[in-house]
Amino acid sequence: MTKTILAVDDSPSVRQMVQMTLKGAGYTVVEAVDGEDALDKARRGRFDAVITDQNMPKLDGIGFIRRFRELPTAVGVPVVFLSTESRDDLKAEARAAGATGWMTKPFDQTMLLNVVKKIAG
Amino acid sequence: MSAEADPSALFRQEASELVASIEVGLLDLEKREGDSELIASVFRDLHTVKGSGAMFGFTEVAAFVHEFETAFDRLRRGEAAVNADVIAVSLKACDHIRGLLADPATAPAGKPILDALAGAMDSAAASGAGLVVQVRLPADAIRLGHHPRRLLDELAALGKTRIAALPEAIPPLDDLDPTDCLTGWRVEIEGNVDPADVEAVFVFLADLIDLEITPLGDPAPSMAEAPREATPARTAAPAQGSGPDTMRVATERLDELMDRVGELVIAEARLHSIAQTAGDSVLLVVAEDIQRLAEGLRDATMSMRMVPIGSITGRFRRLVRDLSTQLGRPIRFETSGEDTELDKTVIELLADPLVHIIRNAADHGLESPQERQAVCKPETGTIELDAEYSGAEVLIRVRDDGRGLDPAKIRRRAIDRGLTTEDAQLSEAELFRLVLEPGFSTAERVTDLSGRGVGMDVVRRTVEDLRGQIEIASEPGHGSTITLRLPLTLAIIDGLLIEIGGEYYSIPLAAVEECVELPAPHAAASGASSFLNIRGSLVPFVRLRDLFAVTAPPSDFQKVVVVTSGGSRIGLVVDRIVANNQTVIKQLSRLHAALKGFSGATILGDGTVALILDVPQLVALGRTIEDRSARLERAA
Amino acid sequence: MNVVTMRLGGEIMAIPTDCLREILEPVPVTRVPRAGAFSNSLINVRGAVVPLADLRVAFAMGIEPATMDTRMVVLDVPIGGESITVAIIADKVHDVSHFDPAGIEDLPAVGHAWPPDFIRGIGKWQNDFVILPDLETVFSQAVQNHAPAASLSDKET
Repeated sequence: MTKTILAVDDSPSVRQMVQMTLKGAGYTVVEAVDGEDALDKARRGRFDAVITDQNMPKLDGIGFIRRFRELPTAVGVPVVFLSTESRDDLKAEARAAGATGWMTKPFDQTMLLNVVKKIAG
Repeated sequence: MSAEADPSALFRQEASELVASIEVGLLDLEKREGDSELIASVFRDLHTVKGSGAMFGFTEVAAFVHEFETAFDRLRRGEAAVNADVIAVSLKACDHIRGLLADPATAPAGKPILDALAGAMDSAAASGAGLVVQVRLPADAIRLGHHPRRLLDELAALGKTRIAALPEAIPPLDDLDPTDCLTGWRVEIEGNVDPADVEAVFVFLADLIDLEITPLGDPAPSMAEAPREATPARTAAPAQGSGPDTMRVATERLDELMDRVGELVIAEARLHSIAQTAGDSVLLVVAEDIQRLAEGLRDATMSMRMVPIGSITGRFRRLVRDLSTQLGRPIRFETSGEDTELDKTVIELLADPLVHIIRNAADHGLESPQERQAVCKPETGTIELDAEYSGAEVLIRVRDDGRGLDPAKIRRRAIDRGLTTEDAQLSEAELFRLVLEPGFSTAERVTDLSGRGVGMDVVRRTVEDLRGQIEIASEPGHGSTITLRLPLTLAIIDGLLIEIGGEYYSIPLAAVEECVELPAPHAAASGASSFLNIRGSLVPFVRLRDLFAVTAPPSDFQKVVVVTSGGSRIGLVVDRIVANNQTVIKQLSRLHAALKGFSGATILGDGTVALILDVPQLVALGRTIEDRSARLERAA
Repeated sequence: MNVVTMRLGGEIMAIPTDCLREILEPVPVTRVPRAGAFSNSLINVRGAVVPLADLRVAFAMGIEPATMDTRMVVLDVPIGGESITVAIIADKVHDVSHFDPAGIEDLPAVGHAWPPDFIRGIGKWQNDFVILPDLETVFSQAVQNHAPAASLSDKET
């Protein structure tokens, strides 16, 4: 069974890179352009993992994770938090919001795949 | 060619000396495993063999020794350590070199030896160091998408792991939130593992968890799994040089130990059943530990009672020699599988039946030299005795290349003795089985060797007392084979506990082939036995409910346990399959010993008694069902 | 000789204490299919599997349902030179008393329906007649009766 990953980022180029990398490894990827779009999609279906950026219009990453974790479909779903700066306080905040793991931008395809495999199997 | 003969003979000579020197080095290494001087000397010898081998055109020798040398180089450089396996395989490699020197064309492939050598070194390399990782995840870890299983798998990727759960924090079931992660784990990882790699596994949980990483002390700690099977190689191998230390122990002491272990297994089953009812997870873990220890103790104890069948074949050699002289027939006696082990009691009880079978083979099976010449057979007759493991059974075969059994003669004799009737339609197998009946003797003349009235019926009784079976096969003009099938051990077996109308019975698990639902069309009918279609083949089945006169109504979903013995199968219809259990076999008293269908009784975890089904007898019943339906078909 | 006296099917029986092992409150029994009425079950006596026999069947006595007084009496009985452990059902166990072997009489030839081979003699206890069963014969016959009758067959025939 192929696993479905929700990739949340406002940058089309990042989304495309995530899409290509994960598809190549056999995952199905659903894209969302910001936190609200992602919440909307998460309400309608269950994902095997979520990768979300921090800086996005409308609803940022940490805000999205917090509201995502309130959904019944979010129980047991790992969330990877992406941010441009490797700030410990931001990491801690994301984890308190319910992030499972994190990654610092810029990342390459190998890094991304390692983290997704680790967290989503 | 002849010009080269001289130097290559010289090389052979030189290489044999070097191989002998390598062997001595290996045997010394066995005693001084860390001696780098010895390792270097063996390595030098190997190098020389390889070099001159290539020079004199012994390419196979050179190629094999090259790989051997490469492996030994790892020892020299300290990448792997010497252990008993490395020595044992290296000694085999020496034998292989000798074979290649003698005749490369007939020598077997060397690859398996090289693979075994690499394997032995890998395990030697890994058994050195290791880590013990003890970890507890936060309670909400699973809700937040962490997968303990994946984390453990990542640890397993670092080296050979042994994982034990730490369930102390788990509350009773009623207070348990199944989405909480309350189990901790203790993981032993063998090999050269970097603690940083372990930390990396838990990178996303780093400051949220208790992670303890300590070096692994004893490489063979308490958690090690007990060996499941008897390891004949260890006890029976006549090791070169210094053999394993042995000690004589009185059989009564072993018997007593076996009795105690039997009691322990019963007590353990009770503990397990109490722990399960109590629902206390900590108690259950302790119960499971004790179960594993008891199983290990059981296997170890049983392996102590095992002796190779070779311990009694010596007297058969003598017997055949004497028979040959007395009968004036040259007989060759061959044995194989002499290292096959059986319980000591079984071996002792088998000696006399085997003497009888071998006598029969020499006296009745083999023809006189004149008769043999007349049918273009070699003058010397052959009797073979071989033994082998087959599942949970040991097969002992006595084969002769004589005239074979004569079905017509057996039939006549059986009618004379009132064992069958003129109009009975018997298959060849059924006819042969008559030979085992009391009072049957096919000898046309009574000699002083056999045919004295005591015969195959005594053999049969002994074998059946040991819960074994006899099979007879024969090919006219080519000889006959008598096969004894015996259970590996006597006292304790793994059983499948089943229920019929509230009564519990145990079926020896080794005989169980599969369990299937009773198909709906058969469920309603209760009555005559018939057949089940299992993946296209017809399997006769009996309703144990009918056979055992159980009056309680059957359950809605009856099951069929398909059991097998001697290549035949029968389905046993039961109400419910309860569990696997360790079954300590208690013999039935003389009051019930003659009852067919049960091989003994056992005591269950709750202290009640359950009967153990006798699979060979039930399978024999299945055969009569098959024979009968075949007869009905012929009649139709 | 010392005997333990017990009530079975309305009669009193006495069994020498030499062969008495223990007296048990009834324990769960396991039926042995096709074993015949005399000894058709097994019990667990301290980890040993012991056949449970019913002397009331052997003596063709009436069988009363179990009561609070019912006991299982574990005995060692010799059969053909070997001793086997069996248990028998007693409707009630009275006590252990001393019997003067001189007071034991032969079974009268008439006036009862018991198989004479099964009885060693008749004694007296508290003004009642007491049967001394010949356990060896009772159990030896049970072993012999069994041997041919116990083969496996399904419902054909």
